[in-house]
Order: sequence, then structure tokens, then C-alpha cells
Amino acid sequence: MTISGILSIDKKKSTLMWFLVPITVYMVVFFLYPVIYNIFIGFFELKLGRTPIYNGVSNYREMLADTQFLNSLVTTLIFVFSAVSVEVVFGMLIAFLLNHENRVMEIIRTFILIPTVFTPLVAGLVWKSLYHPDLGMITYYLRKFGIDIGRGLIVERSLALGSIVVVDIWEWTPLMVIIILAGLKSLPTEPYEAARIDGAGEVPIFFKITLPLLRPTLLVALLIRSLDALKVFDIIWAITGGGPGTSTTVANLRIYEVGMNQLRIGYAAALSNVLLIIGVIIGIFFIKFIYQKEKL
Amino acid sequence: MRKSKGLLFVSIMLLICVMAFAGGKTEEAAEAPVMEKALPYEGAVIHFAVAAEQFADQLKVFSKEFMMETGADVRIDILGYVELMQKITQDFATGSAEYDLATMDIVWTGQFEQEGWTKDLTAWINRDKAEIDYDDILPILWVMGDWNGKQIGYPLSAYANSMIYRKDLFEDSGEKAAFKAKYGYDLAPAETFKQLSDISAFFTRPDENMYGLVACGARGPAVAQDWMEYMRGFGGQIFNSAGEVTVNSAECVESLEFFVEMFDKWAPAGAIGYWWDSRETSYRTGQTVSQSSWSIARAGYEDESISMVAGKTGMAVPPKVSGADAGYGVGGWGVSINADSSEENAEISWEFIKYVTSKQAQKDWTRNNGAPIRLSTLTDPELNSEMPWLADVLTVFQNGDGDYRPRVPEYSQIQDVLGLRINQAITHELGVKEALDLAAADIKAFMK
Repeated sequence: MTISGILSIDKKKSTLMWFLVPITVYMVVFFLYPVIYNIFIGFFELKLGRTPIYNGVSNYREMLADTQFLNSLVTTLIFVFSAVSVEVVFGMLIAFLLNHENRVMEIIRTFILIPTVFTPLVAGLVWKSLYHPDLGMITYYLRKFGIDIGRGLIVERSLALGSIVVVDIWEWTPLMVIIILAGLKSLPTEPYEAARIDGAGEVPIFFKITLPLLRPTLLVALLIRSLDALKVFDIIWAITGGGPGTSTTVANLRIYEVGMNQLRIGYAAALSNVLLIIGVIIGIFFIKFIYQKEKL
Repeated sequence: MRKSKGLLFVSIMLLICVMAFAGGKTEEAAEAPVMEKALPYEGAVIHFAVAAEQFADQLKVFSKEFMMETGADVRIDILGYVELMQKITQDFATGSAEYDLATMDIVWTGQFEQEGWTKDLTAWINRDKAEIDYDDILPILWVMGDWNGKQIGYPLSAYANSMIYRKDLFEDSGEKAAFKAKYGYDLAPAETFKQLSDISAFFTRPDENMYGLVACGARGPAVAQDWMEYMRGFGGQIFNSAGEVTVNSAECVESLEFFVEMFDKWAPAGAIGYWWDSRETSYRTGQTVSQSSWSIARAGYEDESISMVAGKTGMAVPPKVSGADAGYGVGGWGVSINADSSEENAEISWEFIKYVTSKQAQKDWTRNNGAPIRLSTLTDPELNSEMPWLADVLTVFQNGDGDYRPRVPEYSQIQDVLGLRINQAITHELGVKEALDLAAADIKAFMK
């Protein structure tokens, strides 16, 4: 390659690099800076409107004794696990049902996305009225069919979190359907043809071919939804406000109470850093799993 | 082609110019008479954060009138209780001066003074004492807006705690006879908690979708405030006179036991999730027979467009535990001026405060869902004939206790703690004593 050729490639590269500037600036200003600032103020006793006082790891030490926050972490993990696992299973089943090309399926595929389009806060308010212990339609029919729901789905401690999980499943299963459906459409046809020639049935084909080939897609879907569910706030805020008692108090709600009601910004920052670390661990776990499988 | 494009451009520009000038002339002609009268605060804009209470709409009416008279545009931003508290707190704490004026729950007085978030109104009040007719405003309301000798909140809307009940049922001969046969005394508004317990049990008939008593149960300020009213009636206090935390005292425990019993036995199933609006809806739809409520809601019960119990409601002073020496519960809203508001805006805000709380405005205020603050309004014969309950409201104010919800700087944190612990008790996540012991420990931790 000639010198002028090398120079023209470098010029091309440097031009292309400029296109990355806007997104880099955006990422630094809106993602990197807030995260670093949040980590930084986690080491301060910072009350809104007051001078921050450096207090080392005191906020984190306090967190270890904060049973309300620790309980909220457990509630969050229960919520994430129960909601996301059901969403994946339902998402897969519905995606298989919709994986046929005809006019009816096209229409259903369009309409199935409606719950996902709802703002979670609005969805929460709609479901709150459906769950209303005295006037809600769901409450009415459950009681009519003789199902014991005590004082009501969202006012009984044993039922409230489950009721919230149902709303999350309703709202986010369609997203899973779309992701898994996209994965199904991109699968190669050759392995299926070979398996059918060899006389394999549909069940072995699903477990031996479809599921392994679909694994990267499923892991990406799980990663997206797990991280999203970890951040849950608005649905719960709208439906139960964290109650009854502490039964639906997830970590974000506790952080909100500490930061916005008690105005303890430093402590709230420390708590959200812990949630961030949990999110990063989940992210690393899934990403590692995805790459491992791809190597295999 | 180029020529025709140019012509088209010139024609459009001409058309725009003609239209613009034509419009301008007409407006000038229309505005001419208004310009004759110079208004003192023409062009000024005041931002007012207002709680989403019944009186909010009337403040909008007053702001329009004030604009006609002074030229100042007072823009009302109506916010829910929690949203208001958070928005103004952030605004005050960060010095962003988004709002010049804010309605303040009277229990925020201590916090606002300690943080220096709002202006001390004392100098203005002293300057205009005659104009505002200082002595006509009920003394308890001045006290409630005062902290450390500074008038932080100017009385705006005063609430008397009262017992609301279905008068038609209490006067029904069949009900009266049945009650007497069962309990051995006459059916009448409860004066003691024993009576309230009997009445609540008597009227709880789930098969008829009728319940004896209701309160707010939702986790947060609503359940905390409703319980504190019962705590007061039982003679309990958050702090004793020495400033010690007594939220787990025997009186407080007894009051919470009663409160829990209410949710277990006499309240609608959903009451555990009720905020103020749901509690009011429950009463207004005839689902519940009685409730402890603020007097601000009283007029609304007679409004057939929102109430199914119009003409059927009675109001009495709330019950007390036998022998208790507790005053009646008084609360309500004051109005305060942001410490970061400019001098000019603060002066206009002060004028607006005087306008909405003036003697002249009080009748309109009271007739349009506002709660009166003046003795002359509460004793006005015309208003009393329209609203016979005003006499009871005055009794509460004159024998009132505005500190049962402690107006200390840490009030918001106390309410936050109680909002959780009381809810944990009524949902049986914690026992009564355990919930109050934990509340006491939480409060002691930040009162150090």
C-alpha cells in the first residue's frame, strides 16, 4: 500500500471518529457523570440545601443495619425473579403461537404490543382501579367466583406483591414476545430440515435445536428485563405506594423515601450505588453467559 | 419559472404584512381604554404552589380578581399533598425560587423556620395590623403559624377536626329503638370511644354494604394524620411537655388498638388502602356511617353533584376518652412567602395574601369550599343560617389543640415514620406495641 493510500485511510478514520463525538459527549454528560457523582456523594452526609460533610463509609455502614432497605432488596429480588421468569415462559409460548405467517397473526402481533406502549404509571393507575378492594372489577369477579382474597388483592400483605407482578407480566410479556419472535425468525432452516429427514419429532426438535439456537436471544431478553425489573418503581408507586406495610416496598421505593421525603441525598445515593452494583453483577453474569455459549 | 416564483414570494410577503398591520391596529384600538387605568403591578408574575384542597379553585377565582385590580398575574399551580411538600421543599432548599408563594400545612412551620426557607411575615403584619384586622383572625391560627417568635405561616384555611355522621340514620326511630335495646342507652353522636365503638359495631352491616366507621389506612401521611387524631382523643402525645418521645405510651397504645380494631371490624375492606379522597368518597357514597374528618369537607356533603348524603349529614365535636383533658384537633393551611423571592415579588405576594384573607373575601371563600379563619365570618348570621355547623367549628377552634401533630422541625420525618409503622400495625405486619416501640426508636434516632 502506498503512503497516500495509508493517509487517505487515516483521514477517513478521523472523519468517522468525529461522528462518534456527539454520542460520546451525550454518554459522558448523561450517564458517566451522574454515576461518578452519585458514587462520590455516597461518601457524604448531604442534606438538600445544607453543606455536605464527608463521612467516609458511614452511609454504607448504616445501610448494613437498615432493615427496611435490606428487606426492600429481598422484595426487589423476589419481584425480579417471579416477574421475569413468568414473562420469559409466557413470551416464548406466545412467540411460538405467533410464529406463523398469515393475516391474523400479523394483526395479533400488532395489537399484542399495546400494554407495552402504556406508561407504567398510567398502567399502574388503571390496574389500581381494577384491583380496588371495594369497587374494582377484578375484585368483584374474584369474589363472585368465591375466591378468598381477604380484604382485597392490594391491601392484603400476602397478595399485594403477587398482584403487582401480574401487572408487570401484563405490561412486559409482549416485549419478550417480540424479542423471541425476532429470534425465531432468524433461526436457520437447515438443522430443522436435517432433523425432520432423520425422523425427529417436534418435541425433540424444540429441545435439541430450537432452544439451544434461541439461547443467545433468550439471554439478551432476560438481561434487558431483569435490569429493567430491578429498577421498578412507578407501577408500585401508583398501585400500593409500597404498602400494605412493607410488602411491596422495593429498593427504589425505599431510596425514594430516603432521598425525597427525608431529603438525605447522601444516604440515598449510597443506597442507589448498592442497587447499581447489583445491576452490574446481573449484567456481567448474563453477558458472560451469552459469550460463553457463543464460543461453544 | 424563476420570475413566477419571485412573484409568488412577494405576494405572500405582502399578504403577511397586510395581515400583521391590520391586526396590530385593531388590537391597539381595543387596548386603548385599558391603558387609561394604570395598574400598580402590571406585568408582574407570581407563582403560587397550592395544595389540591377544596379551596384551590377559589384561589384561582381570587387570582383573577386580583389581576383585574392590580395587574399582577398570580399563577396557581395545584399539587397533591406529597407532591406539594416535595416540590416546595426542593425549591426552597435549592434556592431556585420557582415559587414565590406556597400553601403550607401548618405542621411544617417549625421546619420552614429552622431551615430559613420562608420569610418572617411579622414586620408586614405589624405594619398592616389595622388593615388585616389582626384580632379578628382566631388566636390559635396565629400561634400555629408561629415558630420561635417568627410568623412563618399566615392563616389561610383553618380546619376543625370533627365527627361526621349520618344524621338521618341517627334520627331514624327504628334504628334508635334497636340501638337502645342492644346497648341500653340512646343513640346519639359519640362523646366517648366506648360509645363510638358501640355505634360503629351497630351500623356495620356488610350485607347492606354499610360500615360503621372509616379512616385513612394507606401507608403515608394520610394514615399517620388520621391516627394522630385518635391518639389525641385518647390523651396521647408524640412528645410530652419535657420533649421526651412518648409515642409508645399507654394512651398511644390504647388509641392504636382502637384504630386497628376499626380496620378489622367496622371499616370497609378497602380502607387499608384509603387516602383522604377515598375516605371521603366512602362517606359521600353512603358506604360508611361516620368518620373523623376535617371541617373543610363539610360543605361538600351538601353538594348533590358529588354527594349521595346531601341533607343527611350531622357534625359533632369528636369523642374523647372518658376523663381525658385533650383539646380538639385543629389543623389547616397557612400561606408563606419564599425567602428567595425577589423584594418586589414578595411585596406583591403579601398584597395577595391580604386580599384572599380579607374580611370582604371571607364570605365568598367560605361559600366556595374555603375554610374560614375569622371570628366575624364564623359568627356571621347569614353564613350560620346557610351553614349551621359553623358554630361547632368555632367551638373546636376556641378549645383547640394545634400541636397534637407536633409542629417541630422534624415533623415531616415523624410523619414518615408513623405513616409506615401505623400502616404496619393495621395490616398486622407488626403488633400494636411493637409498631409504636419501633416508631419511638426511629423518632429518637433523628431527634438526637
